[in-house]
Amino acid sequence: MRVVRWIIALAVAAGVCWLFPLFHVVPLQAAKAEKAAAKFDAAEFADTFWNKRLLPGLDKTVKADVLLAAIQADPAAAKKKFARSVGFSDAYFYFVSGTGRVVSVSDDGVSLAITPGSTNAEVILLAGLIFGDAVRDGTGLLNGSDYSNSQDFNDMSAALDHLVETRVLPGLHEQAKIGAEISFAGCAEVDDEANDLKPLKVIPIQTKTR
Amino acid sequence: MKTNWFKLALAVLAAITTAAFAQTSFAQAPKAKIAVVVSTLNNPWFVVLADAAKARATELGYDATVFDSQNDTAKEAANFENIIASGYKAILFNATDSSGSVANVRKAKAAGVPVFCIDREINATDAATSQMLSDSYAGCVKLGEYFVKTVGKEGEYAELLGILGDNNTQNRSKGFHSVVDRFPGLKMVAQQSGEFDRAKGLEVMESILQAHPNIKAVFCGNDAMAMGAYQALVSAGKDKQVKVFGFDGADDVVKAIAEGKITATGMQFPKTMARKSAEFADEYIKGKRDFLQKVPVAVELVTKENVSKYGDYGKK
Repeated sequence: MRVVRWIIALAVAAGVCWLFPLFHVVPLQAAKAEKAAAKFDAAEFADTFWNKRLLPGLDKTVKADVLLAAIQADPAAAKKKFARSVGFSDAYFYFVSGTGRVVSVSDDGVSLAITPGSTNAEVILLAGLIFGDAVRDGTGLLNGSDYSNSQDFNDMSAALDHLVETRVLPGLHEQAKIGAEISFAGCAEVDDEANDLKPLKVIPIQTKTR
Repeated sequence: MKTNWFKLALAVLAAITTAAFAQTSFAQAPKAKIAVVVSTLNNPWFVVLADAAKARATELGYDATVFDSQNDTAKEAANFENIIASGYKAILFNATDSSGSVANVRKAKAAGVPVFCIDREINATDAATSQMLSDSYAGCVKLGEYFVKTVGKEGEYAELLGILGDNNTQNRSKGFHSVVDRFPGLKMVAQQSGEFDRAKGLEVMESILQAHPNIKAVFCGNDAMAMGAYQALVSAGKDKQVKVFGFDGADDVVKAIAEGKITATGMQFPKTMARKSAEFADEYIKGKRDFLQKVPVAVELVTKENVSKYGDYGKK
């Protein structure tokens, strides 16, 4: 009788282990592949975001002539009406588009006059190395609260900057001839109003010649 | 008439006695408690963070207590057990480990105690009620740009990392390298952890200087390590040769920038973060529930050009 009980107990234990195994044996290569798949791919995410959300989202920009006139009239009111900021910060962003005539060109930027008849550089399209979070944070299309690890969110920012350098700037350098008319859309970060507003420094997301 | 005066006196006496009893029992009513759990009190920056959180919670009418986790997740877990068992209404939390601290926050949440992270992130968006975090990455992009401007586009440099398991360590390093790595003439010859500790920073810097005597600069993941590195440079007679960059906005480093000893730091505003987190906890206790999960707090570049605007762990 005791033997029968032991057999039943062992059978139950074996059944439980079969249904709920304490561990799984997985091939090392499969485990590595699974780990790699779980890792956030910032470049891939940035590429998808760029094509599916950023470019279609350019209709949310404020027009440069409207913005510049508003800044000229009252920078604080322009900020309140058109800018966005993230968390607690004195810095803020404009998501802006417009058309301007090239008035000067350097390795770091292409200066445009926006107001009809103006010969002053009112907007600089940054054309050198691109750093910072203006493209990620300037549009309002991405939210840091959606990412459990801020490293992923920051990697995405670097990946978006890389896309600007590789997809936008080569074309801009070709388009940048004095007198040429360029249509643009992009993000401007205003960290220091004394230096960043006049001219407005824009990281271009899209440029076209007219 | 005499009887009326006697009754009046009795009524007044009764009223005074009742008021006195009421006041006594009111005074003895225990205040709601808020816990401030901080990664370490062995670094002045975190002492400021903890003190500011405690002071604001006290101002708001709470009985606030600071718990030191001593950079030890086990100690932190014990603090959480104690806090949950002791009936605290909220926890203002500076984590020891971005991943390792998540379980503690979940435990508090399950017990109905809201957790508000300050300065250090946890790798979960469904555990803490809100996380108020310095934007370390953006701050170190600015530091990286200033590094290239002041050190130049060529030369050897070293980096002292913080605690490797902390997201701030990685975000600071990545923000810095997102700029500096674009200049191939700048070569990082050493990268070691100083664990956010001044003494460890000094020790690591001494060994780096022996192996790489020609470095032009050192980027440190926090100000405590920057002060340790500067001390090592002074001892080696290289404090004029090597530029030191820190991160935090600690008072001694802000003063050292004004004196030309340290080149730059990133001001993190620990008092602002701590006070706002205490206010968030107060709002939660009073019924608010819709908090942003992550609230970034901008970091500002402090250099000799603008150092006069900063002090006392913030902007003057």
